[in-house]
Amino acid sequence: MSRQELISPEGLRVDGRRANELRRISCRASVLNSADGSAYYEQGNTKVLVAVYGPREPRNRSLAQQDHATINVEFNIAPFSTSERRKRSKGDKRLLEISSFVKQTFEGAIQTAIYPRSQIDIYIHLLQHDGGTLETCINAATLALVDAGISMMDYVCACTAGFIDETPILDLNFVEESSIEVPNLTVAIMPRNGNIALLQMESKLHSSKLEDVMELAVEGCKHIHRKLDQAVLVAAKDLADKLSN
Amino acid sequence: MASLILSPAEQDFIIRGVEKGFRGDGRGSLDRREVTLRTGMISQANGSARCRIGSLGVGTDILVGVKAEVNTWAAGEPEECGTIVCNVECSPSAAQEFEGRGADEINVELTQLLDRIVGGEQSGLDLRKLCIIPRQAYWVLHIDALVLDVKGGVADALVWATRAALLATKLPRVVVESVTDDSGVARAEFDVVDDAEDQMGLEGARDLPLAATFNQIGRRYVVDASEQEEAVTQAKLTVAVSPKMEICAIQKGGMLKGFAPSLLSEITQTALRIAKEEFARFDALFAEASKHNGELDEEPSTGSTFLEPF
Repeated sequence: MSRQELISPEGLRVDGRRANELRRISCRASVLNSADGSAYYEQGNTKVLVAVYGPREPRNRSLAQQDHATINVEFNIAPFSTSERRKRSKGDKRLLEISSFVKQTFEGAIQTAIYPRSQIDIYIHLLQHDGGTLETCINAATLALVDAGISMMDYVCACTAGFIDETPILDLNFVEESSIEVPNLTVAIMPRNGNIALLQMESKLHSSKLEDVMELAVEGCKHIHRKLDQAVLVAAKDLADKLSN
Repeated sequence: MASLILSPAEQDFIIRGVEKGFRGDGRGSLDRREVTLRTGMISQANGSARCRIGSLGVGTDILVGVKAEVNTWAAGEPEECGTIVCNVECSPSAAQEFEGRGADEINVELTQLLDRIVGGEQSGLDLRKLCIIPRQAYWVLHIDALVLDVKGGVADALVWATRAALLATKLPRVVVESVTDDSGVARAEFDVVDDAEDQMGLEGARDLPLAATFNQIGRRYVVDASEQEEAVTQAKLTVAVSPKMEICAIQKGGMLKGFAPSLLSEITQTALRIAKEEFARFDALFAEASKHNGELDEEPSTGSTFLEPF
């Protein structure tokens, strides 16, 4: 199989980034009015919108847990998000997989024990798709949960990394992600203690390289943490300004 | 729709208010709430728009993306026309009951409504211009709407957002040439020009209609009902009017009662009367939204308008 040149001889990637560069990140909290918390997050050309509701009474009584809150995640890909229009059904495995990963990640991060018999809903919309769906979903959900004022142990910051031509590369875009030979590692950490909240890898990678790739991904997570922190500060300042006026 | 529970006293308050010409938020019976419009936030779509109808930043919020695709003609399809396919999806962020398959029914209802208004010739769009080569290839315009929030008047917001998205839609230019193959038979081939500068708008998009929904409450009716007003609505009628003052589509929705025929003609007359004002309002908002985009284009932005307050 002929392989597309993913790294040029000058060391630049298809979108002009260097190996250890993240795509441009912009985000904003409180973008929807009726949701308890919401966030819009874009990383390069991947754009995600998240709405968080809760803690509220569970829609279905049987879902209520006596000692902790249940977390419900629904993930939806807008039909216009990909370069070729595609409408997915609600039962699409890819959708369910991502929502279950997000759910598992946040079950560890949210202090569910302080919200017994209640439910926290996280609704994620992928508006534009250019690789790194899971990482952007987790980062956006963190911001929306903070915006909703839900108690968490820490932020959860996610980042991807891969390995091309003996070089670890950070934050894969769609072209890099779809190449079969490129291993794709998604890692989410809680930056304060550095604990890993989620780890997932596709394709294969030599065990001796794993550490380098992990290290790069964790570096990326820390950078994203600073970005999210700034967005939270901006939102808090905004709120404070509104209160004082 | 989202089940809002009102006490009998509150219902009575709204109904009597409407009958006397007063509404909870101080509007007149034919006044629309504040409308916010933005275009061009989805760079992977050919056209996109977001529309919110509601005062004080709270209201019905809809995102529409238009995507054009080339389709191969198959026997039985119209020979010299393109097609428009509508699809509306309600997000669970609008109401908890839209989770999972809970929104299926309302999705179908809104999709059908949108299709009735913009899906064919009545929309004013020149479908023949969407044909690339007769009996061979044509454009399909996929209109995908995402309902992010529902606070009354979904149908109106849907049509406003769709009109803005279609007006902002740019199709790539297509070059059709005649090719003679080895056996000497000439046939037409086309090539889609891949150049962001070489694109054109949709033919006839200026003639797209706007819709107004009239809700019968008590013995009177109001335009653009709020969530509370919708909860006491007896019947509602959505009327789509084109800029040429033609009625493009009518749909009666709503639950409790039927319309008196006399009220029907009164409402259609009113719809035509207020349409001029509505188009002027839309044009002003759309011009502002487009200007907004022009500024953004100067830097190589990803074209987001979600980052700004909306």
